[in-house]
Amino acid sequence: MKIINDLNLKKQAHDLGVKVWQTPGFMFIMLGVIAVVIMTATFFISQNYDSPELVVLAESSVVIIVLAVGNSVISLIEQMLKLNRMKSEFVSVASHQLRTPLSAIRWETELLLSKHRKSVSAKQQKSIENINTLSIRMTHLVNDLLDVARIDQDKLIIKKKAMDISLPISEVIAENKQLAKNKHIEIIFDGKKKMPFVFADPEKVQMVIENLFNNAIKYTIDYGKIEIKLSKNDNVLVCAVKDSGIGIPREQHGRIFEKFFRSDNVAKYQTEGTGLGLYIAKNIIEQMGGKIWFESVENSGSIFSFSIPIAEKNQA
Amino acid sequence: MTKILVVEDEQILHKALEEFLVDEKFEVFGAYDGEEAIKLIKTKKPDLILLDIVLPKKNGYEVLDAIKSDDETKKIPVILLTNLESMEDIQKAFDKGATTYLVKANYRLEDIVKKIKETLK
Repeated sequence: MKIINDLNLKKQAHDLGVKVWQTPGFMFIMLGVIAVVIMTATFFISQNYDSPELVVLAESSVVIIVLAVGNSVISLIEQMLKLNRMKSEFVSVASHQLRTPLSAIRWETELLLSKHRKSVSAKQQKSIENINTLSIRMTHLVNDLLDVARIDQDKLIIKKKAMDISLPISEVIAENKQLAKNKHIEIIFDGKKKMPFVFADPEKVQMVIENLFNNAIKYTIDYGKIEIKLSKNDNVLVCAVKDSGIGIPREQHGRIFEKFFRSDNVAKYQTEGTGLGLYIAKNIIEQMGGKIWFESVENSGSIFSFSIPIAEKNQA
Repeated sequence: MTKILVVEDEQILHKALEEFLVDEKFEVFGAYDGEEAIKLIKTKKPDLILLDIVLPKKNGYEVLDAIKSDDETKKIPVILLTNLESMEDIQKAFDKGATTYLVKANYRLEDIVKKIKETLK
């Protein structure tokens, strides 16, 4: 089945955005054709001619053809890698340029909402609040794109230190309390339970928790429940976020951490979302020496868990 | 009154920062390029500097070098306030003696004031 799919050249060319003759499938067929021609030619020559010069000549031609094909394959790979790098650089530059006007919108609206509050009407205030919220959402999106570009370029910034993981969890819960309340979602977390410190980047850990927690809220229908649990397992600490949400269809479990992937039921239920959050979370956790995984049943809920190494005594 | 120098070339951001800080009872003066910033630092001796990196004439790193190479100014805390965020930029800033590194887009004005107060403690 895979071979048939691989040989659907038109589709492949469309998916990769290249000409048909530039697709890997076309290269594969060409290599096959060349191999058959070479074998036939060698057989024909060895059957009909005794002259060793002719055999050497035939072999030399074969070597030249193989080198020529090899060269074009290598230059194609080179071109693709270059394009990939250019794409990441473009995202970096564009995102940085977007950040300046975004900062201006955020700060200006903040000024209006704080220092000039008295001079705006209640209706105007609501509009300004909306602009502010949307500019924050856009900032997050730009930050996500920048993170993906950094992951692709292997330049993700991770600054590890010994830290108490319950702090970012409590902070994320506090920040999203109102959101959960609006949907009548109950949040359960025992922040007082003493847990060993982990060796991780506090800012990045908070990003991952925020992503998992936000997903849990986003995909839980009203009157649900979200539970965050910490547990020690050998030399790692495991954090699990359990929700009673819409879950993930079984057939899409394998793709959940892919870049830009959003499962069918989620895309139908919530249009907001890029499919970047879990991809970024997975890369962050793995770069900190941990693992991320999930269990999920459609229409009954999901548990997303990640592990992080416990800090050793000499790790400040 | 605590004196703060705002070094930011983007007009709208500069004005917003200045207005917010003045309202928070800081004495604020501003520079729109690196050379002007170095001059003002020498003459006004601020208690804290908010410094952008991408600036005309002299960039933020050059300004930071000038601050740290002068005995009279080297102890002034410098908060880098920029939208650049590569590993190289952050490392370079701390190597040159920056006190804090903040990404503009991720901070509200209120949070920046909090960071200023923390730094001045």
